Amino acid sequence: MTTTLTPPQTSVTDEPVAGRAAWTLVARREVVVKLTDRAFVIGTVVTLVLIAAFMGWQAWSAERTSTYTVAATSADRAMADRLASSATGIDDKVEVGVDPVADDAAARALVTSGDADAWLHRVDGGWVLTSDTESQDDLTRVTQEVVRQATLEQQAGELGTSVERLEAGSRVTTSLLTGDAEKAGLAQGVAFAFAFLFYIATLTFGITLANSVVEEKQSRIVEIIATSIPVRQLLIGKIVGNSVLAIAQMVLYAGVGLVGLSLTPYASLVTAVSGPVVWFLVFFVAGFVALAALWAVAGALASRTEEVQSTATPLTMLVMAVFFGSLFLDGTAKVVASYVPPFSAVLMPTRVLEGTAQWWEAVVALAVLVAAAVLVLRVAERLYRRALLQTSGKLSMKQAWVAPE
Amino acid sequence: MLEIKGLTRRFGDTTAVDGVSFDVRDGILTGFVGGNGAGKTTTMRMVMGVLGIDGGEVRWRGRPVTAQDQRRFGYMPEERGLYPKQRVLDQLVYLAQLKGMEAAVARGAAQEHLERFGLDGRAGDRLQELSLGNQQKVQVVAALLHRPTALILDEPFSGLDPTAVDSMADMLREHASTGVPVLFSSHQLDLVERLCDRLVILSRGRVVASGGADELRSRGPVRYRLSLDRDAGWVREVRGIHVVDVDGRTALVEVLEEGAEQAVLREAAGRGAVHEFAPVRPALADIYREVAA
Repeated sequence: MTTTLTPPQTSVTDEPVAGRAAWTLVARREVVVKLTDRAFVIGTVVTLVLIAAFMGWQAWSAERTSTYTVAATSADRAMADRLASSATGIDDKVEVGVDPVADDAAARALVTSGDADAWLHRVDGGWVLTSDTESQDDLTRVTQEVVRQATLEQQAGELGTSVERLEAGSRVTTSLLTGDAEKAGLAQGVAFAFAFLFYIATLTFGITLANSVVEEKQSRIVEIIATSIPVRQLLIGKIVGNSVLAIAQMVLYAGVGLVGLSLTPYASLVTAVSGPVVWFLVFFVAGFVALAALWAVAGALASRTEEVQSTATPLTMLVMAVFFGSLFLDGTAKVVASYVPPFSAVLMPTRVLEGTAQWWEAVVALAVLVAAAVLVLRVAERLYRRALLQTSGKLSMKQAWVAPE
Repeated sequence: MLEIKGLTRRFGDTTAVDGVSFDVRDGILTGFVGGNGAGKTTTMRMVMGVLGIDGGEVRWRGRPVTAQDQRRFGYMPEERGLYPKQRVLDQLVYLAQLKGMEAAVARGAAQEHLERFGLDGRAGDRLQELSLGNQQKVQVVAALLHRPTALILDEPFSGLDPTAVDSMADMLREHASTGVPVLFSSHQLDLVERLCDRLVILSRGRVVASGGADELRSRGPVRYRLSLDRDAGWVREVRGIHVVDVDGRTALVEVLEEGAEQAVLREAAGRGAVHEFAPVRPALADIYREVAA
């Protein structure tokens, strides 16, 4: 015990932390703790593997070509050969080979033994594709098309006209007054994906944030922190740390999803989706930060970990309402909700993607969302600061608002 | 010097701390003594700015304390808790960084302090893997690490074994010797008596006694122990004293009139051999019982 200590005045600077942005220290700790948490890392890796596996399966099943063998007697040979030669032109996943047989009995035997997938033969008033125990949908579809085409050609010839003339004017196409059809379908898929990601991210990272707040409160380490740095810095650090984690995770998932998508036949969609994704990310960040501040308050209102579930209930409901609202809202309700935070976080980028919102609408909605986020942060800071050092049980928002400091 | 002046805090209808005033002087250890619910923790939390003040003030170096001042104090809250799942060294460095220390400097200082507590082998362990006593040592290190300008420690000795108590006491004395005021609470009176230069006794939210240990003891009744070679029953006849106890050849007397003890001594010497005649200093525990009653 001979160590001598220098006077304390020399070791700490005069402006200890206020000038040094203590929130960066807090944010960094939040990130490091999470990245070294085995459960978090395993969960993320498992999700990535699932996304990759799903995409891989999609790509594999889309690329797979089915080869069918069709038995036909010499009388039906011409139609079978036409099927074989034009099948791939109708459906590039279907290839057909012909196995000539002597008679109907031989054809039946071949199908029963499994050497042929089906027997194509003519009956009165049409054609029959006979399989053993189950019919092949792809083969049936292609055969229907080939037979219809061949029959039409033959009958048009008999009538002294052409297939084109017979079919002229019978085509029906669709069009939309607002937006376009291809985009609408795409928008639906992408919007669902993002609404789901937003829901999962706000819920999982929200609960993580609320728990980390109450853990500090429960162990009273918050008293040490609150006497080291301003509480506002602690709140900002926690929100930034968790937002960075959430957004990084979402970008990772979306990135793997997009790379996977580019390997499937839907590759052309990647470019179509990439632009609107930026809108989603911008709204995602603003919406997430506003909600994160509320999650921090939910954590601060509780005194013990077990109480978080009840203090966070209103927030859980809100997050679910945003998710289901994004799925089911329609018409005027959807347009109105696309300006209302936090619903706008998902609905406005969806409308931009659908092509039903002008760019200035998105800018207005974003401005409202950011303003709401700032307001929520201010209210949350007061609630958080006042609730944080109250250790006698669960608090209501009102109690926290009026609590003495 | 840290001056606490008329601090008051109410929780609803109860006044937990009621006009508490005392000084925590530079360079010495001040013990803060009182039973459960006496208001020690509430007072310390107000000094640290963790709890609002209903009345009175805290002054630091002659002016009202600021949040900036409080940030440079070292504080150990009542209920222990750092991050249970974080590694010991990592969280010490983190907390020191929040206090404005450079990471590398904090790391070195943390290792040095852990070594002194015999915890250098545990720096990489998660806090929850340590025994409660060892967790407490880490907690104290967290309060000391940044070379605080004042130390406020709530029950730093509870749960420590005698060896750890000694190394903790050494460490606190060392910090005090650099001119830092140290205030710590405890209900282990013998420990406070052994360690502290000054003490403050709190009871039901009020300061009932404060001052140097000797000063407080001298306020107690003056007693003398008498040991003779024959029966001491005669002391009952001497005037100006109160006989606390007579047991065969020994007696314990309390002086009521100044100088009466000299009469006792003369009488004893006249009657035979005197083996012992000595003042009995009251233990702090006696003083405490008396003032806190």
